[in-house]
Amino acid sequence: MISAIYNFALTTGANRVIRGARIEHVCGDPTLSPEKDYAFGMRIVTTALQTLTIAVPGPTLFDPMAPEAAHAS
Amino acid sequence: MGGPLRVVHYVNQFFGGIGGEDQAHVGVSVRDGAVGPGRILEKALGDDARVVATIVCGDNFASESEVEASRAIGAELERIKPDVLVAGPAFGSGRYGLACALACKVAQGRGIPAVTAMHPENPGASNARRGIYIVPSGASTTSMQAALDALAPLARRLGRRETLGPSEVEGYMPRGTRRVHDRGRPGYQRALDMLLDKLHGRPYRSEVPYAAPERVSPAPPIADLSRARIAMVTTGGLVRKGNPDRQVSANAVRYHRHPVAELESLSPTEWEAYHAGYFNHIVNSNPNYILPLSFLRDLERQGKVGRVHEQIYALPGVSTPVAVSAGHGRSIAEDLKAGGVDGALLVAT
Repeated sequence: MISAIYNFALTTGANRVIRGARIEHVCGDPTLSPEKDYAFGMRIVTTALQTLTIAVPGPTLFDPMAPEAAHAS
Repeated sequence: MGGPLRVVHYVNQFFGGIGGEDQAHVGVSVRDGAVGPGRILEKALGDDARVVATIVCGDNFASESEVEASRAIGAELERIKPDVLVAGPAFGSGRYGLACALACKVAQGRGIPAVTAMHPENPGASNARRGIYIVPSGASTTSMQAALDALAPLARRLGRRETLGPSEVEGYMPRGTRRVHDRGRPGYQRALDMLLDKLHGRPYRSEVPYAAPERVSPAPPIADLSRARIAMVTTGGLVRKGNPDRQVSANAVRYHRHPVAELESLSPTEWEAYHAGYFNHIVNSNPNYILPLSFLRDLERQGKVGRVHEQIYALPGVSTPVAVSAGHGRSIAEDLKAGGVDGALLVAT
């Protein structure tokens, strides 16, 4: 689940939670240039897809905005 | 209503006297009258009730052939037309607990009241949240008498079409439903009493009990994304421009499925958000923010994702009761499974 209010997702039991940008624009950021907006959205989406290949024990947060763009929990 | 209450009892192959684990595959059969624990049940029910028949089904059959088992149990209930169905008790036995909940669900679906008993940690116990009356029992058969003594009065009253009071009074597991009633004193007085009790260290009970969310086991990982079929779901209120499907903006009673096989991206001239819980304007300029089709098409072209599923799923995820949301979720998940989807991205606003 990709969500900007990721704490909700984690506490209500979603197992693979990906931090989205903001509630109003989860997969991207319109304040950036179109290229950067796209790259940012792509980073969120690819992080989400990667989580599908990883086994998780329970609700786990993945943060595409973390420096390593890896697992942040 | 004249005559004794007519009860049908559901038990598994073990309690039905067919056999143990080696007989767990057996299908649905019916015995006249009470069998095994049904005799104790009949005593607990009292003189004005009779176990007219016992439905027996193997635990493996009930869990592996759920549709077939449901159909067979349903057919027997239609034939016997009991006043109430009692299932179990299942104690700590997981498959039996799920089967008891299934039998209750089948009965309720036919307008026949039903009740079961099992240990609160039995996997079947989560069905309390799906409207099934479940009386908590011990984990083993040593608590048989206690479980049946607790279950029998509820079965009798449900069979007489009485409305049960709240779970905390009646002793069944909370079903997550609310009913409007008069507590006698206004809310501010009750709140102040509660506060005073709290400040004085006296016991008090909130009128808004915390309901822990259901835990779902994580899906196993996908071995190879480049061969996987990936679907997209959004709770961001995505609708076709102008909302021709007449979706609501909150408290959705249905979700919509849209074909996107022909689309490269979600264009703002064809799609928009209709959702009462956030500022929709930004999504209306780029709907891919809540349903990332444009990104997935690129990844599909690059061979990083096997295939983008041809259908997308959308609803506004706001003000919807948990039970209704869970129903939407189950229905979407079933559809995805039937469509051969390996993984799904759910974008929540």
